[in-house]
Amino acid sequence: MGSLFTALSISVGSLEAQQAGLETTTNNLANMNTPGYCRQRPVLQESDPIVQGSLAFGNGVSLTGIESLRDSLLNVQINNETQEQSKSQAYVDTMNQVQPLFPMDTSGIGAAISSFFQSLNGLSSNPSDSSLRQSTLAAANGLASSFNQAAGQLTSTRGNLDLNVQQDVQQVNQLTTQIASLNRTLATTSSTGADYGSFMDQRDALVQQLSGLIDVSVLQSGSSLTLTTRQGTALVVDGQSFGLTTSLDPNDGTQHIYAQAGDITGQISGGKLGGALQARDQTIPSMLGQLDDLASGLVTNLNLAHQKGFDLNGEQGGDLFNPITGSGAAASMSVAFTDPSLLAASSDGTTGSNGNIANLTAVATQQVSNGMTPIQAYGNLVFQVGSAISNANADVTASTNVLQQLQQQQQSVSGVSLDEEASNLLLYERAYQAAARAISTVDTMFQTAINMGAH
Amino acid sequence: MRLTATESTILLNALNATDRAQQNALLQVTTGKRVNVASDDPAAAAMQVQIADQTLAGDQFLRSISSVTGELQTADSALNSCVTALQRAITLGVQGANGTLSEQDRDALANEIQGISQQVMGIANLNYNGHFLFAGTADSQTPYVLDPNSPGGVKYQGNDQVNQIEVEQGHTVAMNLPGSQLFSATGANVFEALSDLTDALQNGTGIDTATQSVRDAFDQLTTSRVFYGSTVDQLTSDVDFLNSKKLQLAQSTNDNVGVDMNVAATNLVNADNARNAALAAAARTSNLSLLDYLGSN
Repeated sequence: MGSLFTALSISVGSLEAQQAGLETTTNNLANMNTPGYCRQRPVLQESDPIVQGSLAFGNGVSLTGIESLRDSLLNVQINNETQEQSKSQAYVDTMNQVQPLFPMDTSGIGAAISSFFQSLNGLSSNPSDSSLRQSTLAAANGLASSFNQAAGQLTSTRGNLDLNVQQDVQQVNQLTTQIASLNRTLATTSSTGADYGSFMDQRDALVQQLSGLIDVSVLQSGSSLTLTTRQGTALVVDGQSFGLTTSLDPNDGTQHIYAQAGDITGQISGGKLGGALQARDQTIPSMLGQLDDLASGLVTNLNLAHQKGFDLNGEQGGDLFNPITGSGAAASMSVAFTDPSLLAASSDGTTGSNGNIANLTAVATQQVSNGMTPIQAYGNLVFQVGSAISNANADVTASTNVLQQLQQQQQSVSGVSLDEEASNLLLYERAYQAAARAISTVDTMFQTAINMGAH
Repeated sequence: MRLTATESTILLNALNATDRAQQNALLQVTTGKRVNVASDDPAAAAMQVQIADQTLAGDQFLRSISSVTGELQTADSALNSCVTALQRAITLGVQGANGTLSEQDRDALANEIQGISQQVMGIANLNYNGHFLFAGTADSQTPYVLDPNSPGGVKYQGNDQVNQIEVEQGHTVAMNLPGSQLFSATGANVFEALSDLTDALQNGTGIDTATQSVRDAFDQLTTSRVFYGSTVDQLTSDVDFLNSKKLQLAQSTNDNVGVDMNVAATNLVNADNARNAALAAAARTSNLSLLDYLGSN
């Protein structure tokens, strides 16, 4: 049978345990709004009993550690979904800057094409009239500058994306450095067997931030995380991080991303970088290519028609637009002359003939670009931009919903509940009070025992 | 499932969603459009590009028709006075053929015929908006000039070309008649006929034959002139067609990208209600916890 000293030591152990409980509770409350924080709880265990003959006396409680509650599988899912969401969001944000360049009506390339052909129709009512000629020439200039503007804006959007790519890569490097350093910390501390929840919380939060920037695969080995891109480029291995670099590619004039193994620009498929690269390297070049195609198709056919006619001086018509082909065609489209009398409206050399205008207006119904008329080709561009954005928007909505679900699940495992902590607070407080009362009771018993001797 | 303090995130998400719905509904009501940018409905936006093009083209056709109609009507009314003048010439020829007239009387008639010839030449050289109406496409120079070597003493400097103008998608009309069909057609040359009649009246012989020539020229002119009236009629019906097409395109625009106002207004009310509900929920629920009830101890 135990002595009074045993009762005292059990009570003191209980005080410690309840105090630890109070500490974790207050720590939970303090961190309830800290991003990435996983709630903690004290791990309490019955102490080994004291066996005397056939009797086993309980020997109180012992505090074996503080554990964090986390679900690694949920973390992986959240990281994956974050990559999808950030990618679609970055893509939508970029394409929303591109969309105003392709309006449906009253402005932009479509309206410029319409008004050019209309001004030709106006000119045919009085082909020698200088103000009508002037306005046709102005419409031709308007057509050229609408192409210049759209191509210029697309190119400058690409340039801005380049800047974003550089900044994002810097951020990726910062995060991987921090994660590697936490890997090192955890490697040394975990050898002591303790659960360093707060370091892991920090690391998980960093990995999630990283998922917002780039596609990441996470491999856990012991206490250490190995991070690669989905295509297997190493980012962090144990305590070492592998930085990415950017440099200007001379072939396409954009910033490419390099890892140790070489150019990985085309492999990045997730996060903000994935979205930005998709817009920069796929969508925008394709738009530019189609604009170039449309511009050069229009120019070729209009020039051909223009050369069939005669200008106001009775001379054979030359080029209406300066000839352009291939890449950069839309950006460099320009009218070949500034003198309105050089417009070749006449089909027979007389000033009053409008016969060649029919050849020029016929271009409006010719297949100038990929089997489409000018307006159809422009409508097709509007469709492509619109559907790219609306598809990406749908992706954003879907992955946001999934992410919200996952985050709620994660909160349900790792989040701090005020009600729970409040009741824990009460529980530990009462237990502490009880242990303290036990100590004072033992004290009274000691007194009694000591006083017994004094008699 | 363990419940934690996720109300704030849930409410925030709900507020974001209702806010977006509200903005969207508001945009639709204020613009009257369901499709404000291409991403709202890419297929409708692409179709709208075509509709906008056709609408703008229709407006241009209407402007061109109005300008061409003005020109055609000017030409027609000028030719009308030419017809009246030639009728007078025929009357004078018939009058001159009456054998009882003195030489003096016939000279007076011949003078009047010469005056008519000048009047017709003035009409044939009519200039409208900086170009000559009856010169074919060589309309920068006076089509009829005096030339003793030409029949009737008047030479035609214009050509036989006719300009076409598109007034509907793929439909063109001629917008002029050259003078060579109206005034100086072979065998029906107005100036030659009038000159012959002047000579005949002065000489007192062949007046009937000369008057007949003027009649032939008169017939040629009145027959050809029908072109102007019928073209103006055709353009008038083209205007009707274009206007009805414009209405139809406006209707298509509305069907394509417009919004049903009843639906949009209902959406707006619904979005407002949803947002109010979310806000009210946020105001009521966010502060409840067990701690509130323990505090009084």
